[in-house]
Amino acid sequence: MSWLEAVEVSKRFDREGQQILALDRFSLSIAEGEFVTIVGPSGCGKSTFLHMVGGFEAITEGSISLAGERVREPGPDRGMLFQDYGLFPWLSVLGNVAWALESRGHAKAKRLELANHYLERVGLSAFRNAYPAELSGGMQQRVALARTLALEPRMLLMDEPFGALDAQTRELMQEELTAIWQRDRRTVLFVTHDIDEAVYLSDRVVVFTARPGRLKADLPIHLPRPREPELRKSAAYAEHRNQIWDLLRDEVLAARKLA
Amino acid sequence: MSVRASNHLRWLGGVLPVALLLALQWGSMREDAPRYAVAPLQIAITLWELAASGELWRDALASLRRSMGGFAIGAALGVGLGLVCSVMRPLRNFFDPLVSLAYPVPKVALLPVFITWLGFGDASKVAMIALAVFFPTFINSLYGARSVNERWVWTARNLGASRLQIFFRVVVPASLPQVFNGLRSGLALSFVVLFAAEMVGSKNGLGNLVMKAEESMRFDLMYAAIVGIGLIGFGFDRALLALRRRILARRFPGEAAHG
Repeated sequence: MSWLEAVEVSKRFDREGQQILALDRFSLSIAEGEFVTIVGPSGCGKSTFLHMVGGFEAITEGSISLAGERVREPGPDRGMLFQDYGLFPWLSVLGNVAWALESRGHAKAKRLELANHYLERVGLSAFRNAYPAELSGGMQQRVALARTLALEPRMLLMDEPFGALDAQTRELMQEELTAIWQRDRRTVLFVTHDIDEAVYLSDRVVVFTARPGRLKADLPIHLPRPREPELRKSAAYAEHRNQIWDLLRDEVLAARKLA
Repeated sequence: MSVRASNHLRWLGGVLPVALLLALQWGSMREDAPRYAVAPLQIAITLWELAASGELWRDALASLRRSMGGFAIGAALGVGLGLVCSVMRPLRNFFDPLVSLAYPVPKVALLPVFITWLGFGDASKVAMIALAVFFPTFINSLYGARSVNERWVWTARNLGASRLQIFFRVVVPASLPQVFNGLRSGLALSFVVLFAAEMVGSKNGLGNLVMKAEESMRFDLMYAAIVGIGLIGFGFDRALLALRRRILARRFPGEAAHG
């Protein structure tokens, strides 16, 4: 049974009086506990689709439902992780995470205790009293991840969460994320343009065409779990990687003409 | 500009005021110096005597009661209304053009109007100061709240926040740096308007002291009162900056640095 069900979803928006079709009748279904990644050239509408699942952008046509409920607006059942972290700079690290626990109706003392627990999961409980601006980009994204996990959402939505980090930090974050994910295998929809990241993390990789975004390919990733860093050197990994790059190359070239 | 050049300028910045004071002292002690050229040392002595006799504090207190009263009323209205207007479009459409229209009108020109309405007492002065403080605090608060990072609003909605919670827990704290900018301009204006008001119709206060000294040709007293005004304004500005730094330094390091 599918957990997330997107049926023939289209997105049109106005730009300087011109109608632009960003997403064209895109359908996707994700099973509970699945880690699915969308890759595509920049501007293909993959983030737009993610934002529609998150309830932040209106759906022009089609429908999206999660656990049988129609998606209409944002809510804590879909935990969102942004590329720019979205931390509140006026709240401490602990305050940021504790806010997420309000939606679950805990008393204040319990919230702080639980927030600390989620910070421990990302290895940052020692920084609970710091403010976001005092942390590195990688640490800020770990705080944002702890906050999103604290929602205990039905699904995690990740919008190029490691895109702003340097290459080394990004790889370490991918390893941390897959380790954290392994524990409770929550459903994830992940968006990136980094093919390595997509292969390393996912059960399935969905390839988008250049704008307007359409489904180009839907590929299962046959790699053992839990994923270890050594996996990146294996032949199977390289094969997946090359296959996706071959599919994507034409779309990236097409996207360049659009820009 | 080279490092050496800027070092020269720093050296100049320390020496120039001292040299200027010495030149004024020397110039005012010459035989042919006019009566209104009072030696800086004499001004300092008069200021000291004024403080020792208690006269300075009586007038300063009378002035401060007016300026702080006007500042508190004007700032509360300006910040409050500015923030509320940012999230209520009809209210904004009403106030925004009104403020643009009235901002360039010199508030001092309205003193006769206020006196007609509220009499010669403190009420007309406090009202005029409040009006002058209202404009910069309103404009800065509105601008600050309107330019709040949309990502924070999205994140708060993702955490399940209501519209009221988004206003009080996102819009208000996120606007703080701009609110402080408005308060600082307002504070300076509150002193400007205060002394103008006291010079026209008042029996006490530092502005009145300046007028009285001028009428009785006590030029040393006149300058001493002006220096007193400057010192009080300086003190309050520094106190506001210290408060701003205390609140913003860790949360908005980029914003707290300048100003």
